[in-house]
This record gives sequence, structure tokens and C-alpha cells, in this order.
Amino acid sequence: MTLQSSVSQLASAQDGAAKSASPPRLDWWSIAAIAPAVLILLGFLFLFFYGVFQSLTDLKFGRPLVHFIGLTNYAALIKTDDFWNSVRATLVYAGSAVLAEAVLGVALAKLFATEVFLARVMRPVILLPLVLPPMSVALMWTTMMDPQSGILNYLLSLVGMGRFAWISDPATAMISLVLIDIWTYTPFFTLIIFAGLQGINEEIREAARVNGAKGWATFLYIELPLIAPYILIAAVFRLIESLNQFDIIFGTTQGGPGNSTSVLSVRAYITAFQNLAFGRGAALMVVNWIIVLAGAFLTVKLWRYVRQRVS
Amino acid sequence: MRLNRSGSTNIALNLLVGICALTLAFPLIWILLMSLKQQGEVMAWPPKFIFSPTLENFRVLFDAAQAGATSYGTIKVDFLTPVTNSVAIALGSVFVSMLLGVPAGYVLARRDIPMKEDIAFFILGFRFAPALLVVIPLFNVFQTIGLYDTYLGMIWVYQVVTLPMIVWLSRSYIEDIPKDIEEAAAMDGAKPVRVILHIVLPLLKPGLIGASLLIFLLAWHNFALGLILSSTKAPVTVALLKLLNPGVQFYPVMAAGLVVTMIIPVILIVMGQRHLERGLTFGAVK
Repeated sequence: MTLQSSVSQLASAQDGAAKSASPPRLDWWSIAAIAPAVLILLGFLFLFFYGVFQSLTDLKFGRPLVHFIGLTNYAALIKTDDFWNSVRATLVYAGSAVLAEAVLGVALAKLFATEVFLARVMRPVILLPLVLPPMSVALMWTTMMDPQSGILNYLLSLVGMGRFAWISDPATAMISLVLIDIWTYTPFFTLIIFAGLQGINEEIREAARVNGAKGWATFLYIELPLIAPYILIAAVFRLIESLNQFDIIFGTTQGGPGNSTSVLSVRAYITAFQNLAFGRGAALMVVNWIIVLAGAFLTVKLWRYVRQRVS
Repeated sequence: MRLNRSGSTNIALNLLVGICALTLAFPLIWILLMSLKQQGEVMAWPPKFIFSPTLENFRVLFDAAQAGATSYGTIKVDFLTPVTNSVAIALGSVFVSMLLGVPAGYVLARRDIPMKEDIAFFILGFRFAPALLVVIPLFNVFQTIGLYDTYLGMIWVYQVVTLPMIVWLSRSYIEDIPKDIEEAAAMDGAKPVRVILHIVLPLLKPGLIGASLLIFLLAWHNFALGLILSSTKAPVTVALLKLLNPGVQFYPVMAAGLVVTMIIPVILIVMGQRHLERGLTFGAVK
């Protein structure tokens, strides 16, 4: 019920055509109303394809003549370790963040669904990390993760743990970034799963209880399958966004130290706008985009499969 | 869901919720404290929780003319311009997106046009467009046609973020309005334009206000577009990053800048929590 909008957006065109009995017709009012928005977005689509085209050229800043060089940019890229390191960093960052957020999101949603006094009062706090600019989040954590004066090291010292260099150490930089992503976007899962939990019929839970199911069993065998589609649709959205993540990583480490957090989007920015090799930068973004597409495709497939099994 | 819990379970659950809420809120509280500290106090170990607050950092942030004379050395900060830029660009983006997006949302919700779902999917797809791939060619285009570093150019490029969102949100809000109301009015002989102006729009108003809060927020968040396509018209998120000057521990002033960028979203939560939840979760929460 509550996922209606997302579902209808993601449903294939055939579903839409099957719903309307009368054949669709053109009327000029509708076209006039929808045309400006579609035209503007078509403009961006054109730019997108122009970007894909640029990835096949040797475009550099200030170079008067641009040559079409086919897949040379890509061929050069896949020969470098840096490129594969970036692919790995992108996958590790997005994969571990989304996985952890899904688990913690379920826990947090269950906790707030208990509707104890504080859960009702503190509900708006869940929204807090989501409404902050990602760049502010990044810089906020940069100050807190400062090796010398950061509050995080102080809090750890209170429980008897030594100091970490967090984002300044190649060994801990990636995990620190994932932690920031988890803090910021776990609430996204929580909100969606919370909606899923509220959609579950109270009678189902009651029936399970009458049949003698314990709390854990009810959750594992009744609730979890029912909220699984919600978890997965949230995972689709988050996976796309974290594979594209730029702000948080650029704001904290800019890909460093060394190459430890150099995800594809950050490497593409540095290649295009600091080394001024636009063609090469565009090629990196195209690779990133293909990964996003593949990731989204797989999770949407999984989501559809799970949704069919549930309903 | 509302079963009778024992008192101790209740206390434990409250405690857990409290810890989670504190984890989410603490970083903001800490930054707020930091923005009220002096440079020496920020670097102190162990960190100070009790100190005499000062507004000096905010003065440095906004008082461009005087900034050279502070204990921070000769670094001049002009934070007012980026704040103005961000507000102008965000308001402009909201205005343009509403103007173009709401009619499109209405058509997608109510009219049977060919390839309706394809168009809707096409529009939603931009929510996940790789912004950088669009920006690389746009950088050259903007330089050529003179839109680089202009409000007009920025508002136009922000549409890639805000327009799909408003089309999609207004469509979902319009679908929530019972179709019968419109059909009844049409039956009584009202023209389609009158139906929309006098019946649909008033019912849609709360939803549209919520949606505009959300897309203002999205525009406020944006960093990459401003970083690449502007310099003097750069938004506040780009100016923030410049406060993190390598080699200079500029933390308290940056904390003040962070407070400025974060206070507007916090105000927006207070104004429209339900609407933001709906928008941020792509309509999963109603």
C-alpha cells in the first residue's frame, strides 16, 4: 500500500497500459503541460550522451583540436592499478555501507516501533542526519576524527582504547568513511522499514502469538519476510547513491591518504578538473555509471523476486 | 504492538532509544559547542565541555573587512556571499521546478497519454543520474555560452536534481486526491482549467508546500554542481570546504560555518517533518 508510488514508478510500461481501459490519446493541453519539464530533462540526457562521447575523445583543457580515439581511454585505464583500486574502493565503500545500514536500519526501526515514551518523543531525531548537507556531514566528521583534538579519540580513551588516526591513516580511512555513511544514511532505511512495519496487519502478529510463537520467531518468520521488500527497495536507492557518492568522500579525504579511498567519482573529478583530462575523466564516470546500472539492476531484480514471494 | 511490558523492559527500551537518539544528535551538539569556543579551547585535551561561549567565530565568518585583524591570522573569510548565493539559487530552483514540474506531475497522475509510464520512469531516472558525467560536458558548454558562474546557469543545472523530484512528488500527491471530486465538478460543467485552479490546487497546497521545502533542501545540499560550474556564485557548501584550509587549524570558524549550513535544514524539519519524511523516502512514508 505505502510502496504504491515507488512500485508504479518501477513497474514496466506494460503494467501501466494494461490498467487503462480506453486507449491512450493525445491532447494538446497535456502535451503543453508536460513538454517543458521533459524538454529540460532531454537536454540533460543529451549532455549525458555528449559526456559518453567525450569519453571516446582525447579532450583536454585548452586543446584546440579534439580527436575521436575510440576506446583508447578505456584501454589505457584498465591497464593501470589505480583504476582497479578505484573500482574496488567504490564497491567496498557502497557494499559495506549499504549492508551495515540495512541491518542497523532494521534494528533501529524495530526499536522505534516499540513506541516506548522516548521513541515517540525522539522520532524527529531520526530525520536529522538525512536533512544535513552531505558536505556539512563530511566536514563535521573531519573535525571529530581529528587525530590530535578529535572528540572521537577522546570518547574512545574513556573506554580505554588507544588513539586512531581515522581518515588520516590509509589503513583506517575507508572504514572511517563507511562509518560516516552509516551514521548519515541508516535513518533512511529506518524510515522506510518503519513504514513497512506499520503496514503489517496486527492480526497476523496476534495469530502468531496465539499459535505460541516467541518474540524472536515472530520477527524472523513473520515480520522479516513481510518487510523484506521494503529493505530491498531502500537498498536499491541507497546502493545507487553510495556508488555515486562524491560529497562525503571529497569533503573528508579527497581520495587519500594515498589511494585508499579514491572511489571512481572522486578520481574522475580529479582527472577531469585537476589534471584537466576531460576525456579520461568522462571515461571514469562512464565506468562508474555502468557499475551503478549493474548494481541497481541486480537489486531491483532481487526486490521483484522477493515481492512476488511475499504477495 | 502495544503489549504489556514489564517495567524493567520498558526502562531498558527507553534507554536504548535514548542512546540511539544521542548518537544521532551528538555530533551536531558537539559542533555547536565548538562553534562557540576559542581556538585554544578547541585544541585542548581532554576536550572541554564547559567554557565561556564566544560569538567571535561567527564574527570572523561574516565580517570580511575585519577578519584580517583576528587571532586567525590574515585569512579573510566572506561567508555572507555564499549564503546569499545558496539562498538565491535554491529559491530560483524551487520556483522554476514548481512552474514546470507540477503541471507535468498532474498530467502523469490524471491524463491518459501515450507512453505515460515510460515518461514517468524517464523523469524519475534523473534522480539517480551521475551528475559528474553531465557536468564534464556542461563545463565546456557553460564556458562557451557564458552561463559559467551565473545564477541563471546554476538554477538551470540544479533542475537536474530538483525537477524530477517535484514531478514525482506532485504526481504522488495528486494521486492521493480522489478523482471523483474532479469528475463531479466536470459533470457540473466546470472547465478543466477552473477545476484545476479552484479544486485541485487548494487541495494540493499543503503537499506542494512540503514538496517545495524538500527541494529547497536538495538544492541547499548540492555541492558538486557548484564546485565545478561556479566561482563567485559558489554555494555555501563549496565555501565550507574552503574553510578547511590545509595547514591552518581553522576548526572553530569552520564549526561556525557548519552551524550556519545546518541550521536551515533543522528549521525545515520543524516546519514540515511529515513532508520531508515522505520526500526523502521517495514516497514510502505517507
